[in-house]
Amino acid sequence: MRHHLAGLAAGLALFLISVGSANAAASCGVDGSDAASGEPIVIGAITGKTGPDDFSNSTKAAKAYFDCLNAKGGIHGRPVKYLVEDDQWNPEIAAQLAAKLVNDEKAVLMVGNSSFVECGANAEFYKKSGIIAIAGVGVPRECFFAGSYATTNAGPRVSMLGAMGYALDQLKAKSAVCIGPNIPNVGTWSCDGVMLLAKEKGLAAETILMDPGTADSTSTILQAAASKPDVIILGLPKGVTIPLLTAAEEQGLNQTIKFLSAASAYDLSVPGTIGPSWDGNFFVNMEFNDLEATTPDNQNWLAVMDEYGQSSDPRDTFAQAGYLAARIAEKALMSLDPKDITRESVSAAIRQVKGFSSDIFCAPWYFGDDQARHNANSTTRMAVSEGGKWKVISGCSPSPDPELADIRAFEKSAGLAP
Amino acid sequence: MTFLPFLISGLGIGAVYALSGVGLVVLFRATGVLNFAFGAIGALGAHVAWQLLEWRLPLVVAVVVAVAVATLVSFLYGRLLAPLLSHRDTVVRAVGTLALALVLIAVMGVVWGELPRRLQFPTDQMFLTLFGVRLTYTRILALLLAVIMVGAITALLSRTRLGLDMRALANDRDLSAILGVRIRQTETAAWVITGVFAGLAGLLLGDLVRLQGTFLTFLVIPAIAAAILGQLRSLWMTAIGGLSIGIAEAVLTPIAAISPYRAAAPFVIALIAVTILGSTAQAALKDR
Repeated sequence: MRHHLAGLAAGLALFLISVGSANAAASCGVDGSDAASGEPIVIGAITGKTGPDDFSNSTKAAKAYFDCLNAKGGIHGRPVKYLVEDDQWNPEIAAQLAAKLVNDEKAVLMVGNSSFVECGANAEFYKKSGIIAIAGVGVPRECFFAGSYATTNAGPRVSMLGAMGYALDQLKAKSAVCIGPNIPNVGTWSCDGVMLLAKEKGLAAETILMDPGTADSTSTILQAAASKPDVIILGLPKGVTIPLLTAAEEQGLNQTIKFLSAASAYDLSVPGTIGPSWDGNFFVNMEFNDLEATTPDNQNWLAVMDEYGQSSDPRDTFAQAGYLAARIAEKALMSLDPKDITRESVSAAIRQVKGFSSDIFCAPWYFGDDQARHNANSTTRMAVSEGGKWKVISGCSPSPDPELADIRAFEKSAGLAP
Repeated sequence: MTFLPFLISGLGIGAVYALSGVGLVVLFRATGVLNFAFGAIGALGAHVAWQLLEWRLPLVVAVVVAVAVATLVSFLYGRLLAPLLSHRDTVVRAVGTLALALVLIAVMGVVWGELPRRLQFPTDQMFLTLFGVRLTYTRILALLLAVIMVGAITALLSRTRLGLDMRALANDRDLSAILGVRIRQTETAAWVITGVFAGLAGLLLGDLVRLQGTFLTFLVIPAIAAAILGQLRSLWMTAIGGLSIGIAEAVLTPIAAISPYRAAAPFVIALIAVTILGSTAQAALKDR
C-alpha cells in the first residue's frame, strides 16, 4: 500500500512538472467558443507524402491548426473540412487530385500545399477555376510564377541567395560555387540566381548540378573545390547535404572553405549529425524564425502542434509554413459573412490580405492583388552550426535575388515596403 | 582538368561494389538466388553499428555485432524461407528476396526513421594524400578487404570440401544431389557467407556513402551490375567489374555534359553488360 501511495505521489509530481513545463494553451479562432457545428467549409490541399521523401509536414501543421480552429468555434460557427491529398510526387496524380478537390469536392480555397510537382501541374488550373492556393512550401520555379498561387515560404532560390548575400557581406567571399540538384526548374533556377548575383557583384562563380541519388559525394566535392572558391553554396535536401559535408570534411575542406545552404538544411538534427568540426563553418538560411524561438506566435505554433497534432509530426520549417498558411486562411475567412462563403467571396478576401503579421515571418505577409506572381516572403535570417545546435547570427535581411526586382517594385508601389 | 583525383575518389566505393558483387556471386553460384536484399541486410547491420556506437559501446563490439546481425538475418532467410522457393524459377527466387528487402526497409524506417545519420570510424581521420586527394584509411581498408575476401573465398572454393560441394551445386544441382552433396547445408553455408559480405559492405557504405536505409538498399544495383560483368560466375571479374563501376562514376565528374547524370553509370554499364553478355548469362541461368 505504501509503495502504491509513493508511486501515486511520484506520478502526481511528474504530472505537475509536465503541466508546468508545457507550452501555453494553443490559441486559434475565437477563444472560449464551443466546437463548430455548422455546415463545413471545404478547404483542399495537395502534398507529396509518399515518394522520394515525405514532404507533408506543412499539411500536417495546417491540419493541426484547423482542428484547433474547429474546436474553438470554427469560422463563425462553421467548421473547416480540410481535405489533404497525396500527389505521390507525380504531376499526373497531382492534376487528378486538383480536379477532384476543386470540381468534385467544391473546395473554396487550397491551403498549406507542399509539393515538388504540384505547381507545374496545377497553377494554371487553379487560375482558370478561380480558386487561390495559399501554399505552405513551394519548391520549383512554377510555385513563384503563378497568379493564383502564393506560398508562405521564401523558396529555394530566394533562400539560397539570402545565403549568398551573407557570404558577400559578412564572409567577404570573392568566389563561389553553387551546387544544386539536376531537377528541372529547381537546381538550375537556384544556381542561375547565384551566378547572376555573382556577375553583378563581379565575383567568380560556377554551377555544379548533381544527381541527388549519387553514392559518390567525394567527386562532387572535389569538382567544387577544384576552382578553390571562398564559399560553396548548397541547395539540396538535407539527406544529400550531410553526405556532401562528410565528404568535404574527409578532404579537409571544412578548414579552407565556408559552406552555406538554403533553408532545406535548417533542421534541428543537422548540427549534431555533422559534428563539431563544422562549428562556425556551416551556415544555413532560415525562411522563418528560429524553430525554438520563444516569441508568442512561434510558441503558439508549437502549442497547436502539441495539442492538436501528432507527437510524431515534425516541428520543422515546413510545419511553420503550413501553420502560417492556415492562419492566413483563417484571417481571410473570418472577415466574411458565414452565410456567404463561396469560392468567389473567399478569393476576394484573400486578395485583400495585407500586412499579415507573425513573429515567425521576418516581414508582414501579403497577397499581391492582380499580380502575375507572388513571393511575399523574401526576407530571411542566417544561422551557423555551433556546439551541436543552430545559432542565429543575423537579423532579418532582404534576399539580394535580382529576380525579385518586380516584387520589390510592387511592394513599393502598394505602400507595403518603404 | 585531370582525372586522377577522381580516380582516387572512385576507388573506395568501387571496392565496396566489388565486395558486394562477390557476395552476390558466391550466393548465386551455390543456390541460384540473386539476392536483392543484400543492400538492405547490410544497411540493417550498419544501423545496428550506429546504434551501438551511440550507446558508447566500443567500435570492435559495434562492428562485430553489425556483421553478426547481418549474417543472422541472411542465415534465417536462407534456412527458413529460401528452401520454400528452391524448386521455383530463378526469377521467383530473386523476387522472394525483394520481400525480405521491403520488410527490412520497413523495420529500419520504424526503428531509425529516414533522418540522415553519420556512421564514423577512426580510420576516416587517417589518410594518405595522392594527387591532391585524401585517400582515407577507411577506403584503403575497403580495398584490402575486397582483395582479402575474394582471395579467401577463392581458396575456400578450391581447397575445401564445402567449396567442392558449392562448385558441384553451381555446375549441376540435380546431379550433385544424386551424388550425395548435402544441398541444404551447402546452401545455408552460402547464405552465411553472403551475410558476412553484406555486413561488411553495409558498414563501409554507411560510412562512405550515407547511413539511410532505403538508399543503402538500392546500392545493391551497382553490385548486381558488377556481378553481371563477372557473368555471375567469376569472382575476380566481378571484383574488377565493381571497382570499374565505382571509378567510372567518379571519373565522369569533370565532364560537364555528363556530370549531372553520372549516377546512372552503374545502370548503363549493367545494361551494356546484359546486352553483350546476355547469352552467356542465359547459359548460366539454364544450369539452374
